[in-house]
Amino acid sequence: MALEVLEHYGFSVQDIQVVTTKPDKGGSIWKMETSSGPKSLKLLHRRPTRSMFSLGAQEYLVNVKEARVPPIVKTKDGRDYVEAGGKLWFVAEWIESLTPVSKDLEGAKHLCNALGEFHLLSKGYVPPQQAEVASRLYKWPATYEKVINKMDWFRNIANAYEEMPASPHLLNVLDQFEEQAKRSLEKLNESSYLELAQRGNEYWGLVHQDYGWSNGQMGSNGMWIIDLDGVAYDLPIRDLRKLITGTMADLYRWDTTWVREMIKSYHEANPISSQLYDILMIDLSGPNEFYKNIKEVLYEPELFLNDQTTTMIQTIVDTDQTKWPVLEEIKDDWKGIEQT
Amino acid sequence: MKILMICTEKLPVPPVLGGAIQTYISGILPHLSKAHDITVLGINDPSLPDQETIDGNRYVRVPGKIFEVYREEVISYLEANHFDLIHIFNRPRLVLPVRKAAPNSKITLSMHNDMFNPEKINPEEAKAAIDEVTNIVTVSDYIGNVIKSLYPQASSKIRTIYSGVDTNRFLPGSHSKMQKIRNELRKANGLENKTVILFAGRLSSNKGVDRLIRALPELSSKFKDLALVIVGSKWFSQNDVTDYVAYVRALAKKLPIPVVSTGFVAPSEIQNWFAAADLFVCTSIWQEPLARVHYEAMAAGLPIVTTARGGNPEVIRIRENGLVVENPEDPGCFTEKITEILSNRSLMKKWAKEAGNLPLAYMNGIE
Repeated sequence: MALEVLEHYGFSVQDIQVVTTKPDKGGSIWKMETSSGPKSLKLLHRRPTRSMFSLGAQEYLVNVKEARVPPIVKTKDGRDYVEAGGKLWFVAEWIESLTPVSKDLEGAKHLCNALGEFHLLSKGYVPPQQAEVASRLYKWPATYEKVINKMDWFRNIANAYEEMPASPHLLNVLDQFEEQAKRSLEKLNESSYLELAQRGNEYWGLVHQDYGWSNGQMGSNGMWIIDLDGVAYDLPIRDLRKLITGTMADLYRWDTTWVREMIKSYHEANPISSQLYDILMIDLSGPNEFYKNIKEVLYEPELFLNDQTTTMIQTIVDTDQTKWPVLEEIKDDWKGIEQT
Repeated sequence: MKILMICTEKLPVPPVLGGAIQTYISGILPHLSKAHDITVLGINDPSLPDQETIDGNRYVRVPGKIFEVYREEVISYLEANHFDLIHIFNRPRLVLPVRKAAPNSKITLSMHNDMFNPEKINPEEAKAAIDEVTNIVTVSDYIGNVIKSLYPQASSKIRTIYSGVDTNRFLPGSHSKMQKIRNELRKANGLENKTVILFAGRLSSNKGVDRLIRALPELSSKFKDLALVIVGSKWFSQNDVTDYVAYVRALAKKLPIPVVSTGFVAPSEIQNWFAAADLFVCTSIWQEPLARVHYEAMAAGLPIVTTARGGNPEVIRIRENGLVVENPEDPGCFTEKITEILSNRSLMKKWAKEAGNLPLAYMNGIE
């Protein structure tokens, strides 16, 4: 089908290689050498109307905001995508010069600064009329509740599979993480979240939703952001929260300097108000890594609840213990900062 | 009378892709078309022509899926065609645009869920829409009461008309037409000599089938012959397995009783599973408008255990056709009610018999 799609384009393909596939969802990426340079071909796994939202955003960021995001290559009849097999396909420029940033604090700061710039430039995006509006702006409380509910699912699974080696360990720590999830929802409900959300989609702009060490890369003229298929309106600091928690998990401990410097680098590109800083603190206080890693237990508990998972649970608990002093230390950093 | 029925922008009619509202529309058309000239305006689908006439009813299908796209199509259709009565299904946001395009037609509305809630329609627009319609029919008192509490001025226009079921298709397993199907289906799935508990519905957390699965270890220690049938399309899907489907599958795998999950069952065959079952359980934990499956279970003569959520308890006559679980969050409450039914098999038969008489009454608007 990829070949049929490529007939809609004005270049000829000299070589095409699969880069990644998402067999569980049905998306794929190819790298192509063409008569007009290297390009990527992507099959987007989401609903076509949802993909139109993301492609519209990519177009806006490149054409209106001149962001360092791969430009979309148009079809012969001037369209941004081809619809085939009930999904959207599109071609973008392949940016050859990109290299991952160094796996240290300097690299992390580059990533954060680029993320802030991306969020800033995405403000004001209005999707094309035939696209659905993808927004998570009002969904935070529901997402927090979902985490609380799933803690109970984990418990029921661990009880049903009590003979597995990791089950008693999981049951041992579930209460503490469930408590964290409940407390962060309480704090969210007491915060100015709703007031901030009411400023609206276009005010806040887009989150990437899958931003990390591979989707932000250094090019010859600065940091580039790639793989925009999942963008949605939201409070931007959700991307920053994910980047911080993920990076701390890689370090196996929370580090005040790293967290402060990452937030500061972001703030320099896209200023964080003290109200938004509070939301970031609340989001950091959730059982994010535990939830993200344990969620898989729902799929094949008879495989997942093995000795390796026992070790993983211990690592998550150990890392989590280093989180709280850090959050305590930085919680007042934004006190007295001017509201924006 | 020349009537236009405007469907929603989501799914096509007839219900080739399923859908409660779409099933409802197809169910009422044979009755309405006896007395009226009906046009059904809805969204297009690759499997259906853009225009056709079936059994005297005209179908017009236009692009949709996105509300705004569909709305424009509806308006341009109305600018070229006149109707005496325009009935809008579940989209109060279509009322004002339709009124503008059809200033002299009578407009009625049927409400199937919470589309009048403030996050779905701006309150000013909702009030104006209520002014423009002659009547609003709702699928349950629950839906009507929510609208009345939001917009008291709508009260005099609102009336509940309970949905119906095709009683030629949904029949008890003991009916001469169904006996063979029941026996074959039970045999093919290892359900002979079992008391079969049936769940039919979406596999999503608000539909709560996990509560039933969690109630079963205790139930199966009391009753030795139980089996569970889950009719829900996502069970076997490879792509996009949701966390919830994974969760209920993992729980079900550990049950000490046979669990039959059917995967997708064509709407035209779903009655067979009702005929093959002995007890129907609805586990919804959300404020559900009123799930169609209740009518289907009643027509199939099954005793029902449902939940005190939304409109569901409205069709239950306690200990005549079923029982209501007051706190569906707690699996123990399902254990209690199901135990009450299974403990008295003769009562179960009696309820079943009476239950079979109910849907017709509902269908004819006697209730």
